Amino acid sequence: MSTPLVLLPGDEVPSDHLPPANNNPLKLGPGLKLLSEPTPASEKPRHVLTATQAGILSTDAKRNTVSLLSFPNRRYIPTVNDLVIAQIHHSSADYFHCMVTPHTAHALLGQLSFEGANKKTRPMLKQGELVYARVLSVGLGAGAEVEITCVNPATGKADGGLGPLVGGMVFDITTGMAARLIRASSSSPDDDDAVDGLVVLSELGRKLESIGGFEIAVGRNGKVWVDCSNAGDSAVKATIALGRCLQGTDEHNLNPADQKKLVSKVLREFKLA
Amino acid sequence: MVGPTVSLSGLRRADGSASYKCPVTGYDVLGAVNAPVELPARKDALRPEDATIEVFVKPGNTTAGVGEGYVESVLRSVLGSIVLGREKGFPRRGVVITLAIIGGEAVERGDSYLTILPALLHASLLALISAAVPLSMTFATTLLAVTPSGQIVQDPPVEDVANAVSLHVLAFSSKGHLLLNESQGRFDFETWESVREQAASICQGANPRGSDGDTAMDDESKDGTLDNFIREAMEDHLHRVYSWKIESN
Amino acid sequence: MSREANLSVAEREFVLEALRQGQRLDGRQADQYRPLSISFGEEYGHVKLQLGKTSLVVRISAEVTKPRDERPFDGLFNINVELSAMGSPAWENGRSNDAEAYVANVVDRVVRHSNALDTESLCIVQGVSCWSIRADVHVLDFDGNLTDAVCIAVMTGLQHFRRPDAVVRDGQVIVYGIDERVPVALNITHKPLSVTFNAFNEGKNLILDASLKEELASEGELVIGINNGGEVCFLSKFAGAPVDAHDIVEKSNVALEKVKEINARIDKVLLADLSRRGKKGMMEESRAENDREIDSRTTTVV
Repeated sequence: MSTPLVLLPGDEVPSDHLPPANNNPLKLGPGLKLLSEPTPASEKPRHVLTATQAGILSTDAKRNTVSLLSFPNRRYIPTVNDLVIAQIHHSSADYFHCMVTPHTAHALLGQLSFEGANKKTRPMLKQGELVYARVLSVGLGAGAEVEITCVNPATGKADGGLGPLVGGMVFDITTGMAARLIRASSSSPDDDDAVDGLVVLSELGRKLESIGGFEIAVGRNGKVWVDCSNAGDSAVKATIALGRCLQGTDEHNLNPADQKKLVSKVLREFKLA
Repeated sequence: MVGPTVSLSGLRRADGSASYKCPVTGYDVLGAVNAPVELPARKDALRPEDATIEVFVKPGNTTAGVGEGYVESVLRSVLGSIVLGREKGFPRRGVVITLAIIGGEAVERGDSYLTILPALLHASLLALISAAVPLSMTFATTLLAVTPSGQIVQDPPVEDVANAVSLHVLAFSSKGHLLLNESQGRFDFETWESVREQAASICQGANPRGSDGDTAMDDESKDGTLDNFIREAMEDHLHRVYSWKIESN
Repeated sequence: MSREANLSVAEREFVLEALRQGQRLDGRQADQYRPLSISFGEEYGHVKLQLGKTSLVVRISAEVTKPRDERPFDGLFNINVELSAMGSPAWENGRSNDAEAYVANVVDRVVRHSNALDTESLCIVQGVSCWSIRADVHVLDFDGNLTDAVCIAVMTGLQHFRRPDAVVRDGQVIVYGIDERVPVALNITHKPLSVTFNAFNEGKNLILDASLKEELASEGELVIGINNGGEVCFLSKFAGAPVDAHDIVEKSNVALEKVKEINARIDKVLLADLSRRGKKGMMEESRAENDREIDSRTTTVV
């Protein structure tokens, strides 16, 4: 990314920034719109894309993706397959009605969409309790409802820690930061490209290992759940420290070196390292 | 001439925000956008497939009145023409735009509201972009006054507004469409035509693009235009926000 | 959508547990305000205030109007708090909500009902014309403790504001423009501020200046309106868990200390801003002010 190209809404993506044409389908991130596809007959042999948001154009030739790095503090819009942290609002006969983003319509979570749930045994979740869930469908057109699930419908298993989140604490972060954290935690630490300049989590993991480590779940809807209940008496302090490191990195767009400094500073303040 | 001052995403609670300060008129407008949000009442029944745009203008030191209602309707129609309200997550939801006039002289009752319209429009556009609301294009807008001697003045100071024969606010989309044309006072078509030409060059540069948007402009003519000003503000902000990304590569 | 989204069970319990252990989410002490920053716009009475992540703008304005029939010697003073969707997506534009009514009421009682602004000095001609002073509050970001933030900003604004000078000549009121005659400061009788405490764990923990998450987990609010002299002009404990009377006395002392601190801060920024204005080429103004000082001194000697 030597000269980052910034696009404004309505700008066309220059064709030399697109991945070279091949047979794999081109994947588009949010903020881009496909105007025309290449057909054998057409004169333009490439995709014509236009931006609908302002952002830095980012192309990945390996994965055949084009995306736009847009404003990170935007409101979360549910997208199929995203991991989210949802809060139970109320329940009805078949569904839990959950809040994914404040001040938007509730998402539906089937009462049986949990690992091993059946009509006799199923989680009895109350108002205000949290679940880690995956977006199953967002529906089409007007009045579409968002459905989320705590189980992989194909395997019937709760992959990747899906299910109720008990105890711990939730911190609010920007949706951009949430996406970065998910990418960073799902990739191996050697893969520099995918870590996205985020070392705050691995740094915290290393330094808090001695007191029992922590559990973390990141929701694309801008929420991070952390639990340090293994840390015994320092659980509260460790949780607050974690929250401050994550939010500090987010608010000030810290680079890796500054993230390490922040972690050391906060942990020293709480006498945790 | 000193350009306007812009800052983006300064607020935390709103999904997107921008402040826009015009040095000549002194107007300082803060815009906040919340989108897409659930609207309280079923205001969306008429167009269920589209987003509803709500604009709220909060004057600096008076209670909102007829003047605010008028600019709100102008803003709603201009912004409605660029917001892509059918994109994912937006149909039947609201795009709530709140504008507070936090600096500059109060618009007295009966005074023209056109003077503050460009600042309100720019603040809303930037806030919409900051909230990552899908847009079909951007725009730039300017206020021109025609003096008794027939001169056309850009961003006229207060005394020029008071003496002006006519006032015009024009907005051009980044693809060259005329999005808004609000005028007041007496003027003939020839005057309006030269006002339009001058506004187009302030907004977009000397050789406005054709409506197909394909005509590439050379960089020189783009310099100093409002279009370019908005682009630079975005570039600066995004480079700063993504410095971690740019540095790590 | 007129209310903030509720906290999850986990968040509420964590906040309470942390307080039991004497910890706050941002590492503050129980009796500590968040960082406060006050700055001014170009016009008189234009205050920008930031208390932690809560931020707002207050603008003071003045116009000549007719006094109320039942109070012909008094000018008018209004504080206008209108919460818009800018400060929080939970607030709906153009429709009032509980938070707005609550904050407006407390600020009105602390600042207006305690006569912090001497409204009699706003009278121009008895029963015919007077000044109407208006404070407009624009909340830009809401992250808890709006009441204290609004009080501080309104009081700062009133002390910073200068109204145009007006004289009565042959029964006619003449208002001079700000550049024609030195504008006049308002007559402030005392400087009350509100200090808000939130109660947790059956009233066992009382903390100052709660953030939004703390406010949402709170059981009740204790608001003390007090001035530098230690005079309590407002005290409320509307609902929630009971608070011990001893605590109220103790917290009043804390409140007094805090109000003195904040008022000292306000004085400092006011002074700095006025000297900046003096230097900024407004030589005429400062010269005129000096003249007036000399005038008053000579009259006292005589």
